[in-house]
Amino acid sequence: MLEILTIPFIQNALIGGILIAVLLSVLSLFINIKNWSFINVGISHATFGGLALGVYLGVSPISLGFIFAISTGILIGYISKKGDIHEDISIGILFSISMALGVIFLTLTPNYTSDLFSFLFGNILTITKEDIYLLTIFSIFTYIFLWIFFRKILFCCYNEEVAYTTGINTKFYYYSLIVIIAIATVLAVKLVGVILASAMIILPAATSSQIFWHYKKILISSVLISIIIVLAGIFVSYQYNLPSGATTVFIYGILFFTALLVKKIRQGS
Amino acid sequence: MKTALEVKNLTVKLSGKVILEDINFSVKKGETLAIVGPNGGGKTTLLKTILGFIIPFKGEIKLLERPPKEAIKTGKVGYLPQKNNIPKRFPVSVLDVVLFGLVNSKLSKKEQIERALKYLDYVGMLDFKDHPFSDLSGGQQQRVSIARVLVAEPEIIFLDEPSTGIDVVAQESFYEFLKNLKETKGITVVMVTHDVGVVAKFVDKIAGLNRFLHFYGHPKEFFKKDILEKLYGSEIELVVHSEECVACEHFRFKIGDKRC
Repeated sequence: MLEILTIPFIQNALIGGILIAVLLSVLSLFINIKNWSFINVGISHATFGGLALGVYLGVSPISLGFIFAISTGILIGYISKKGDIHEDISIGILFSISMALGVIFLTLTPNYTSDLFSFLFGNILTITKEDIYLLTIFSIFTYIFLWIFFRKILFCCYNEEVAYTTGINTKFYYYSLIVIIAIATVLAVKLVGVILASAMIILPAATSSQIFWHYKKILISSVLISIIIVLAGIFVSYQYNLPSGATTVFIYGILFFTALLVKKIRQGS
Repeated sequence: MKTALEVKNLTVKLSGKVILEDINFSVKKGETLAIVGPNGGGKTTLLKTILGFIIPFKGEIKLLERPPKEAIKTGKVGYLPQKNNIPKRFPVSVLDVVLFGLVNSKLSKKEQIERALKYLDYVGMLDFKDHPFSDLSGGQQQRVSIARVLVAEPEIIFLDEPSTGIDVVAQESFYEFLKNLKETKGITVVMVTHDVGVVAKFVDKIAGLNRFLHFYGHPKEFFKKDILEKLYGSEIELVVHSEECVACEHFRFKIGDKRC
């Protein structure tokens, strides 16, 4: 069993998987308290438009994916703030437009042969050293940012108007959080696909908050849960020759419903 | 006495519709003002314009002798929104909520906690410091939110419908608490409320608002039929509560047409 740890692509998958797991589970706290569970789905699907445009134009798909994701994130925030539209509505509008553009670009691309399966589920076993470097740099940046401004961001999530009246630049924190989530989402989509990226940013805090009520405990347990699940997903998928992304999502799901059951039993008693 | 808030020739339009027109008043430091009026009369819009959330179409606002956006940055302004503006099941403790009020403070972590505990004690919520904020009743949440506002030691505080979700008995003690706050700390209080009867005996001034400022002055002068008709419409029926009225003993103004 442990001999798989000596295989280079498994090593990369483990390191990359843990890096993504920690990053997305930290962000999942904010996704849950802001009720932004749809934002990651929106941004990750919007990324598809950028990737497809890159394929069509013959330029780096991932670079255009980044541009689409960040633009979508900022637009979601802008439309929600200026147009009095709930974030979920603006997400739904933007991601469907971007997905539609993606399909049009791919249809127009001559001799396009790739399928969308890798976009949906990715393949954690294909993580490269370069991916790990990029993920490490972005993760460090995110943790420093959150370390310095955590209380202010949490206060903005609690009540943006109240936070503003204490002199906090709420717009800065709002858009910074959206951009960080957008970049993390693109990185995750590239490595683990849309479905797993969504699961990894929604389910950790959603699961932990069934057991714990305080944000510190939710944060710590979310990180631990994610690391364990990603490792379990890699091992199980390798051992039984199953798709790694789908296997990991399934384990996340099982744990969420277990936590929900535990909560119900505790409430009942 | 210095002026804490000055509103001059203020007109506010939202989506092209005039919500507030030619509003003029000023509040001196240490005064308590209740902004009252019918629903849709522009009370909350006025509060949000004073705080800088809404840009006026015309006119000028001076908050602590500065434009609102500059005044906000001084950290001397406190704001308590309506209860329902706080997300459900927000994962913080009572102490965390009070500490939000010190998020820009230069105090050490230990000093911040000491001060937060002091204000939790002040509002009678010290025993709940480690409880989930979302598990508290409406009245308890309001007390904690007041502690969050006060912990920054502001010069002026704005309260939007502060008695929402609080029963009548708790409302009395809440307004009593606000009155005490003004007397002991000299804080200027501006509140939007619909509880004109309850609030009248606790404030220095009332602003009667329905697009225009129909009344601005002492509460006793407010309870006149012509003023109330202008503010609430001609269908208003005044009910006067006697000194002996047990059911509504909070209301003691002997004016109007009926007795309870």
